[in-house]
Amino acid sequence: MSVSELKERHAVATETVNNLRDRLRQRRLQLLDTDVAKYSVAQGRSPVKFGATDLVCCRTLLGHTGKVYSLDWTPERNRIVSASQDGRLIVWNALTSQKTHAIKLPCAWVMTCAFSPNGQTVACGGLDSVCSIFSLSSTADKDGTVPVSRILSGHRGYVSCCQYVPNEDTHLITSSGDQTCVLWDVTTGLKTSVFGGEFQSGHTADVLSVSISGSNPNWFVSGSCDTTACLWDTRAASRAVRTFHGHQGDVNTVKFFPDGYRFGTGSDDGTCRLYDLRTGHQLQVYQAHGDGGGKLPVTSIAFSASGRLLFAGYANNSTCYVWDTLLGEVVLDLGELQDSHKNRISCLGMSADGSALCTGSWDSNLKIWAFGGHRRVT
Amino acid sequence: MSAPSCSVGGEVGGETCSALANSSLPPPCPKSPPEYPDLYGKRREAARVQMLEREIGFLEGEIKFIQGVQPASRCCKEVSDFVVANSDPLIPAQQKSQRHGRFWKWLCCGIPCLSLASFCCCCRSECSCHLKKPKCCIGSKCCGGSCSSNSCCCSSCSCFRCCCRSCPDLSCCMPTCFRSCTRPSCLNKKKSSCCRCSCKIRLSSCFRCPKLRLRCCFCNCKNLCSNPCCLAF
Repeated sequence: MSVSELKERHAVATETVNNLRDRLRQRRLQLLDTDVAKYSVAQGRSPVKFGATDLVCCRTLLGHTGKVYSLDWTPERNRIVSASQDGRLIVWNALTSQKTHAIKLPCAWVMTCAFSPNGQTVACGGLDSVCSIFSLSSTADKDGTVPVSRILSGHRGYVSCCQYVPNEDTHLITSSGDQTCVLWDVTTGLKTSVFGGEFQSGHTADVLSVSISGSNPNWFVSGSCDTTACLWDTRAASRAVRTFHGHQGDVNTVKFFPDGYRFGTGSDDGTCRLYDLRTGHQLQVYQAHGDGGGKLPVTSIAFSASGRLLFAGYANNSTCYVWDTLLGEVVLDLGELQDSHKNRISCLGMSADGSALCTGSWDSNLKIWAFGGHRRVT
Repeated sequence: MSAPSCSVGGEVGGETCSALANSSLPPPCPKSPPEYPDLYGKRREAARVQMLEREIGFLEGEIKFIQGVQPASRCCKEVSDFVVANSDPLIPAQQKSQRHGRFWKWLCCGIPCLSLASFCCCCRSECSCHLKKPKCCIGSKCCGGSCSSNSCCCSSCSCFRCCCRSCPDLSCCMPTCFRSCTRPSCLNKKKSSCCRCSCKIRLSSCFRCPKLRLRCCFCNCKNLCSNPCCLAF
């Protein structure tokens, strides 16, 4: 077949794809008979109301000397690892605020960090395009240098996010500026699967975030600069199971809803959204009003244990809205509370038992927020 | 008469050698390169078409799938039912008695927090919890020092900041240089973010920066605080 014939086929195929996508969009719109907020109002749900001292800053973790970019809790034992522009990972005891480890990184430009399920290793990645694994039982020298246990190399762009597969200390998933996600075998340092890429169906721009389902670790979702989120099955890497449209800007952050069948997203378009995995429906849009018309990019999100609260950090000084996910309303701004951060909140993480939220900020601090009062919700 | 001989640069009969040489030869007429088939471009085009045709298959499958998909209202009900059925430590499920509420407050404020799994604490900076605050100054308050609100009486820090004495506030705490840099002195009390040091490490690799459509090259370190992707970082 000649090149001109191929180009003609390309044009026809492109038009067919666009028509099919349009049909799919129309059909989905017909199925969107309501959203979570309208449904909840019809059910008579009462809003969540926070008093002035109901959610308080319990701890301020001081120690980083640069912007905090990422944090992660251990599944147990209340420890946190954080990554900062100062080129260090710090492991904290969240209850006592003590630092248990301060690891100087080979490459200071770190963007993400994660704890292994057993809490014995930490992973990080960034502009060096590799994911480095450190064992917390290794001895550090006086500079805080801990030898790297394993380097996961192979990405052709920065590593934006990493997360261990739940209950598997030997596998983790990374997302990258090279438009792919990769499932790694940490023991061998090799790629097990690559999701997306130049000739595979997947994201068409930088992938910024991943979240693995706690109830089904074979599933994970990714968010990308191509304005979509994708659902992947690690057993079938050739294409995304489903692509979720709706956002009009980079999808900076994705997080599974506690039930494992929904997930939330945060985007440069200023909205957070709730999607249903199995149907692909967009169930709710959470858009703030004011602050430039609700166009402040969302940097990070986290759900409370029941899913009733959605915490969302925004790209301005310290704003962190607490959304009532059922009624679609902002019920609190952590940035307005006493002892709040002094700069942008760049990362959020909920503790395993849901009793505390940790926020990391460009002010170089981490803060832990917990419930300080009593309240009834009907 | 013999033909005029011509050496390089010489003259024969008033004309240069090169002029004589040029007049006897046709003008240069370089050939166009042969038209090789653009195999690389053709293969890439074929790969793109194949991807599109595969995408068509996926979309057709998705359209078939969606015929049997439940409406959004069913999903909304599932979300609502899940939220209501699960307790949330940040939102108590039912109102406790005033006495119990006082118990949490008694436990948290003024009393060292027990090692509970839950963060019940309402510990604020005044709480005498078992937390050990670092000795660096926090805001305008100094821990254990007799400082006015505008001065900082830090002694050696137990954290990573080096506090300098007589500094107006925390901002004068200079970070330690740990990237092969010498320890800075607190020369500039206004700006704390940069170490005044020279890096021994020179990196010449270029990074592709997050969310930017250009590459930032980090070629030499004049300032520890410069980063290759300062626009996005």
